[in-house]
Amino acid sequence: MTEAEGRVRTSAGIGLRSPHVAEVMATRPAVAFLEVHAENYMGGGPALAALDRLRHDYPLSLHGVGLSLGGADALDARHLARFKRLVDRVEPELVSEHLAWSVAEGAYFNHLLPLPYDEASLDVVCGRVARVQEALGRAILLENPSRYLRFAHSPIPEPEFLAELAHRTGCGLLLDVNNVYVTCRNFDEDPEAYLDALEVAGIGEIHLAGHAENEADGRRILIDDHGSAVADPVWRLYTRALERFGPVPTLVEWDTRLPALAVLLDEAAKARRLLEAAGRRERDAVAA
Amino acid sequence: MPSLRDLERDVARALLGEADGAVLASILGDGLSPAARLGVYRNHVFSTLTDALEATYPVVCRLVDPRFFAYAVDRYIRACPPAGPCLFEYGESLPEFLAAFPPCRHLQYLPDVARLEWAINRALHAEDAEPLDPTRLRGLSPDGAARLALRLHPSASFLESRWPVDRVWRANQPGADPDGIVDLDAGGVRLEVRRLGDDVVFRSLAAATYAFRSALAAGGDLERAVEAAQAAGPEFDLTQTLRELLDDGLVVGSSAPRSSMGA
Repeated sequence: MTEAEGRVRTSAGIGLRSPHVAEVMATRPAVAFLEVHAENYMGGGPALAALDRLRHDYPLSLHGVGLSLGGADALDARHLARFKRLVDRVEPELVSEHLAWSVAEGAYFNHLLPLPYDEASLDVVCGRVARVQEALGRAILLENPSRYLRFAHSPIPEPEFLAELAHRTGCGLLLDVNNVYVTCRNFDEDPEAYLDALEVAGIGEIHLAGHAENEADGRRILIDDHGSAVADPVWRLYTRALERFGPVPTLVEWDTRLPALAVLLDEAAKARRLLEAAGRRERDAVAA
Repeated sequence: MPSLRDLERDVARALLGEADGAVLASILGDGLSPAARLGVYRNHVFSTLTDALEATYPVVCRLVDPRFFAYAVDRYIRACPPAGPCLFEYGESLPEFLAAFPPCRHLQYLPDVARLEWAINRALHAEDAEPLDPTRLRGLSPDGAARLALRLHPSASFLESRWPVDRVWRANQPGADPDGIVDLDAGGVRLEVRRLGDDVVFRSLAAATYAFRSALAAGGDLERAVEAAQAAGPEFDLTQTLRELLDDGLVVGSSAPRSSMGA
């Protein structure tokens, strides 16, 4: 294990967004790793140049949002080739994508759209994950999406679908604790039961972010907008996840209404303290 | 039960269109209408794509007012959704859409302002490329030189307008004089837009230089570029123009028959 991997494994990072790049370059804050959206770095110019420099000082996590792994249309070979070129260039410690689709009939929706969970979908996603992993020459992590609708025909529970996907393809999981909370609350399900239903092995990264609470037709609906601090119930669920899965590299994301970098760093520091506590518990358990 | 492909196609059409159609039968209400649940996704799609277009076209947005911009791009997104997942590549056809969009057809200069903003966006995100070493062009035969195609830097583009769109752009930058007035009848411009270091720069070119460089950018060989330049300005000096182009670091490659190339 390299030093960089070790740092990713045990601590907390931040999602790096373009308004923060100059400050991160100038001040080099002490975070364990940086995660960027792959699709923002597929051109050239100052964005890519900054990433080239930052990757020497920080382990990188490359987070794809556009491979549409749940899409039934043909995989975008040009996009996969660009993805691979970026992975080869910046050599990230972690590479991840989503259990979702985003393109149909050639139109990209810039959104992580929901899948029905059945055998047919499982075949589609497994085939695509396998093809991406083969192209990249490495395993990727798949993230559970936040969802606002359920399909009438969707017989496999999401944790089971993810476990089967990992089993068949060898991919790992990116457990987004906020997404678990948002999805479960939107369908009156128990988020702790969701965690209990996930297999312990194979969680390669955790995401944390804020969500918003909207009202539609008098019914409360949680929206995963990454526009605020991590909510208290999500921190509690995160603590529960660390008890179940042990310390896992954790990323704090913030995308809309982006705050000062210091605010985001404080959130990452909070995650780091919880991770360190989980690490101590794990060592104590081993020693006992 | 629809196949996954059919289901995704129906969701996609419902997201872009007004009618949700058959897909609603596949969605559980869970205490809401299926249409309201689909609406949560549609809101996200339209608000993030609107934000992306506003980031690429801030001057157009300012000129027409953000509320009208949101209205216009809502129509644009429905007509021309993104064709790829990289948002910095989305919106190339917005200038043509605005030119044909009846509510702003009276703003005749607007599509060219949009073209300038697209050229700036393109320059910012274009692939990196190293300037060609000028010594590689030494020793060309006259015949080889005529058939030489020079590849310009991927960030470079050329824009001709009958309106002073460069002044319109500058007058609408943060910190510009709020009382500044641009005379739209001040005459047109021929602009070169490119990346220089980490910055995007643009400047206006003389007619012959513009004709020469834009012909090369369009893929023409040196002979065709010279013809275009001579048609635009009689006192065109090829040696001087070519040296300036190389000194500007705008040439990143050349293709010519290998036998006619210098070492």
